[in-house]
Amino acid sequence: MSDELPQVWIDETKLRKRSRRDFLLFGAGTLAAMAGLWWIAPVSSKKRVLGEHTTDFLDTVAARTGLSNDRSERFLNRALTFDDDIAEALYSPNRTVRTYSKRDITPLRNNYEGRTPSPAYLETWTLTLAGLASGSDVILRQPDLARFAQHEQVTRLCCVEGWSAIAGWSGIRFSDLLRAYPPANGAKWAAMESSVNLDGRGNPDPYYVSIDLPTAHHPQALLATHLNGHPLGTDHGAPLRLVVPMKLGLKNIKAITKIGYVAEEPRDFWGERGYSKYDGL
Amino acid sequence: MDSEEPVVDVPVVAEEVPAAEPIAEEPPPAEVVVEEVVDPHAGQRLVVVKHHALVRLSHWLNVPILFGMIVSGLSIYWASPVFLHKPDPVTHSRDYLADLGIAIARHVPGATADPFWFYNHFGLGVFNLAGGLRWHWLFVYLFIANGILYLLGLILGRGYRALLPRRSMLGESLAMVRYYAGVVPMKIARRPWPHPTITTKYNALQRGAYASMPIAGALAIASGWAMHKPVQLWWLERMFGSYDGARIVHFIVMIYFVLFLIPHLILVLVDGWDTMRSMIVGWSTRLGGAE
Repeated sequence: MSDELPQVWIDETKLRKRSRRDFLLFGAGTLAAMAGLWWIAPVSSKKRVLGEHTTDFLDTVAARTGLSNDRSERFLNRALTFDDDIAEALYSPNRTVRTYSKRDITPLRNNYEGRTPSPAYLETWTLTLAGLASGSDVILRQPDLARFAQHEQVTRLCCVEGWSAIAGWSGIRFSDLLRAYPPANGAKWAAMESSVNLDGRGNPDPYYVSIDLPTAHHPQALLATHLNGHPLGTDHGAPLRLVVPMKLGLKNIKAITKIGYVAEEPRDFWGERGYSKYDGL
Repeated sequence: MDSEEPVVDVPVVAEEVPAAEPIAEEPPPAEVVVEEVVDPHAGQRLVVVKHHALVRLSHWLNVPILFGMIVSGLSIYWASPVFLHKPDPVTHSRDYLADLGIAIARHVPGATADPFWFYNHFGLGVFNLAGGLRWHWLFVYLFIANGILYLLGLILGRGYRALLPRRSMLGESLAMVRYYAGVVPMKIARRPWPHPTITTKYNALQRGAYASMPIAGALAIASGWAMHKPVQLWWLERMFGSYDGARIVHFIVMIYFVLFLIPHLILVLVDGWDTMRSMIVGWSTRLGGAE
């Protein structure tokens, strides 16, 4: 029998000692695992399981031993940045994102964070470019964008929530804009902002994300003006939105009003809300 | 939970001891010294070496790791369910898991029919996509590392031999299914119902179930990465057909893990303390082989 189990004679005392050691390790491991899971659990979940009072008590005890909620947050954020580092290592700037045929196009959900702005802003819309090599800011209007070569691509947008949709985009290449208005020396990031973004109640709530300049130079990084052959509606970021199919949907900022080139990694709307800042697919 | 010194490295004593000999089952207490006849194994015990230390360690580490993966996974799934139906006219739910939550909540005293009930009680909470993702990434790297420990343990302890498929598996599986199906009726009819003779570590059904675990683990990891990095690892996504294909495989594997737990726990309870203990200490006193 190829998988017959080996039988051995072992001193009773030795066997007892080892078994005791294993059981002690097992018990210690169980306790450690439970403590660890509890430590990194969200406060709301802890309160639901243990009740308000017990949770507060245990949190105080943990904080006294240095295991504060703050440190648990930092620990979990390290898991996030570790995953980002792996993603960065997998990324190749030369890899083209898969493109589809127009037959594959699927309906695209309007996933505006907050409320869809009313079209009133379109009349006065401008795009400000800051952090340029020329030293002064440039303000672009819609006709200025029409001067650039137009490109078309059918790519997939993947949302962090788990859904994805295939859409046909056309507009100008980010790399063409970078060539026309080169960033200042030492700039590593493109910080993008939409000042027309609204919160759930309809109040102004600027949206801001950033991508690294190598990603902005990718030939499939598009500043789109059209969706499926029609000018963008306000629901999909009229008059200009970012399309970066190598990043999660939340990086594809709608209704861009400002692009600033900076040396340090800028703040990120979703990064400040517990998500990754890298979001590479 | 074990460390540097696995039980397996005890040198195998060449002496052949017939397994049927009662002395092997219960060796005489050390004080009873049979005069004149010197027992070479006085004060010793014959045990079967069952699980390598790394296999035991990774087995138990799987408990908190899979727990973390599944609860955080449910919070991620909540944000965009993939198993959907037409909206229910009453609850407006399109999500089977939300339906399950509503159905359970109806039978829980004091709870109202809440579509979030399932996610709230079995996940990291609703509206906690960011928290769910952080947990998921933390535990997936632990899961991968643990899988490597398990494979190492299988190789070092030669446990893989008990998992490889065999020619006789199909017939033995049928015998086991027949046996399990008959256990309760025969007990009621008070008729003898002998367990099929098994001479290996696991019976064919166990062999199949345990061997499927590392495969399911690999599938879970592969389908997870297919949807985590569908652009850089485009070939992985292609393997699963599509983005949603990878999601569906991912959830089916998760359900398989959960379903596996039920017979796994029942069989350990039925099998007794020796089986449970052997996963902690590594050895068993059942010299006949499998149960």
